[in-house]
Amino acid sequence: MDDKGSSKGISRRTILKMAATTGAAAIVSPRIVLAAGEQPVKFGIDNPLTGTYAITGRNELHGMELAIQTINAKGGILGREAKLIVEDSTSGDAGVAVQKAHKLIERDKVDFLIGNVNSGLTEAISQVAYAKGVFLLDPGGHADPITGTECHWDVFQTCPSTTLLVNAIAPSLIKRFGKKFYFLVPDYAFGHGLLDAYNVNLKKYGAINVGADLIPLGTNDYSSYLIKAQAASPDVIVILQNGEDQTNVLKQTVQFGLDKRFHIAGANIELETLEALPPEARIGNWVIEWYWNQPGVAHVQEFVDAIKKKTGRVPTARTWFGHTSIHACALAANKAKSLEPLKMARALDGLVLPPEVSLQSGPAAYRANQHGLIGTLWAGHAQAQGSAPDDLFHVDVTIDSNTIAPSVAETGCKMVWPS
Amino acid sequence: MTQLVLFNIFNGLVIGAFYALMALGLSLIINLTNVINFAHGGFLALGAYFAYTLDPYIGFWGALIVSPFLAAIVGLVVERVLIRPMYNRDPLYSLLLTFGLAFVLQDSVRFIWGAQGLPVNTPAILNSPLSASLFFLTGYRVFMVALVAVAVAVLFYVLKKTRVGMRIRAGTLDLEMVSALGVDVRILRNLNFGLGIFFAGLAGVLAAGMLGLTPTIGEGLIMPSFVAVIVGGLGSLVGTLLGGLLIGVAAGVVTVFYPSASEACIYVIMAIVLLFRPYGLLGEKGGTKL
Repeated sequence: MDDKGSSKGISRRTILKMAATTGAAAIVSPRIVLAAGEQPVKFGIDNPLTGTYAITGRNELHGMELAIQTINAKGGILGREAKLIVEDSTSGDAGVAVQKAHKLIERDKVDFLIGNVNSGLTEAISQVAYAKGVFLLDPGGHADPITGTECHWDVFQTCPSTTLLVNAIAPSLIKRFGKKFYFLVPDYAFGHGLLDAYNVNLKKYGAINVGADLIPLGTNDYSSYLIKAQAASPDVIVILQNGEDQTNVLKQTVQFGLDKRFHIAGANIELETLEALPPEARIGNWVIEWYWNQPGVAHVQEFVDAIKKKTGRVPTARTWFGHTSIHACALAANKAKSLEPLKMARALDGLVLPPEVSLQSGPAAYRANQHGLIGTLWAGHAQAQGSAPDDLFHVDVTIDSNTIAPSVAETGCKMVWPS
Repeated sequence: MTQLVLFNIFNGLVIGAFYALMALGLSLIINLTNVINFAHGGFLALGAYFAYTLDPYIGFWGALIVSPFLAAIVGLVVERVLIRPMYNRDPLYSLLLTFGLAFVLQDSVRFIWGAQGLPVNTPAILNSPLSASLFFLTGYRVFMVALVAVAVAVLFYVLKKTRVGMRIRAGTLDLEMVSALGVDVRILRNLNFGLGIFFAGLAGVLAAGMLGLTPTIGEGLIMPSFVAVIVGGLGSLVGTLLGGLLIGVAAGVVTVFYPSASEACIYVIMAIVLLFRPYGLLGEKGGTKL
């Protein structure tokens, strides 16, 4: 390659350009200083935009963007404009997620940190947020320890914990389909948490775990695991994967015909997964964490219409997680009349969300001294086609999470507030 | 337990055949051009998305035939515009180029078809197990193996019996000599690259029927394919085929005993092979053979 150009001396033209740039910077910089007094309120988003959780991460982002629009249209937070600063955490690299958290806190000076879809990454980020004393809202990382044994005064969780998800479905599965359960488990915090919660339920209701495979995140081919599951002759095959992994395993389960011989179930399923599946693979019993089709519930249709206008699709639970998390931060700041993390955490502790934010029939509140959102869960089954093209889940029962949530003591959370 | 292991060995052969299909495309490109095509997974995704788009108009079978050709055409253009200027440079340049191209292809797919996973329908006749006792043999998987076998047979025939195939083989041994004998090596490299991408496109259509169709569909398949090429031996297409089958079976058998290590085991196999046979199972220093 000819790189003579790089060895040339600095030309007169270059010097003139540099001088012009320096001059322009000198003119502009005072304005930046002047504007610094009215800096926007910054939300640092540390969430996946690539990898197996890319679509769920993007849907959370759509909800966040809508919330920011709404908040700014109503005058912002404490009279200041709200703004998102978005970073891709990747779907499974905790090192990258932590690095991005540091960047958002130290360089961008964000007022709120938001993340992550992946439970393992959420746990890693929450350690950073706690060490730095920054307010963290976890929109979609479900692992129990986040608001359990590793709970912190400045960390709040919008999505249900793994124990809540399993408590919402396991008793009914045992009652309806039998007592022998085989598990396909994603090998990270989320999957381990779900399996632990299932084991507690199996013991409680006299059922047994006949086998469990810990499967690496991002696995494409599940045939070997399905062969093992079939050999164990369970009553129920429990699929605990999420995201693209869940799509792959469900598709292959149907191709092997296992849905004809065993009952298929899991913990939560995402609308994103159901949309990616061919109709014949939309099977099994699940919990959905928020559903768009809630006739007669206040403000839900407005939210659905706004997201449809923005994205062309109905909102999913992930969209709702993102939307709710940003609104919760704004509510905390406005109630505390401050952006000081401790004051905001005190304000959000035990706060019942207003209907236009909770978007469900019952009350939803960040539980005091634990910080998990306790609201409604929807248990039901996947369906090939419903009343509308996006109606792919049939709700059998709505569950008030208060009736299935472990007590604060049972979660293992011993919250210590700064003096 | 024996039955379980046998089931998994057989199933591993099926998956291995799929890895081999993708690895053969990679191997073809590496052998003639020394380009390590990191964008192979991106071309696989293109093939899959072309099939998804064509399916409503020409059905699964039509899409299965047309999509790999469309992917190959994109491959021909990419080779002409981007890869060709890299041939006379250090291989690191083409490696970096294809590494970047993989992201460009992935984001292009995301931009055109969206990030949301898409449902791919396969013919009903392929969507069920062939028997209750051999339930792991689904119509789709048997069809996949049959198609891979046909594709490999056609490839080997083309390379052995046709003029262009013989030139490709000769070019992998001594491209300068082939050029000196009057063969236009630019066209030869272009056709060879297109042939490699055709295999990626075909693997993409088959993968879309088995996995969820997302822009990252090729991401998880590219590494096992590279491992198949290395284990089998650079320069040996039979070795590549063998490498694919070997890692498929190994991953299946390890799943029975220690599922968490099913992915890691293929890299362990690669390390062991490289330790004892640095040129791979059937590879030879500087040699290229069928």
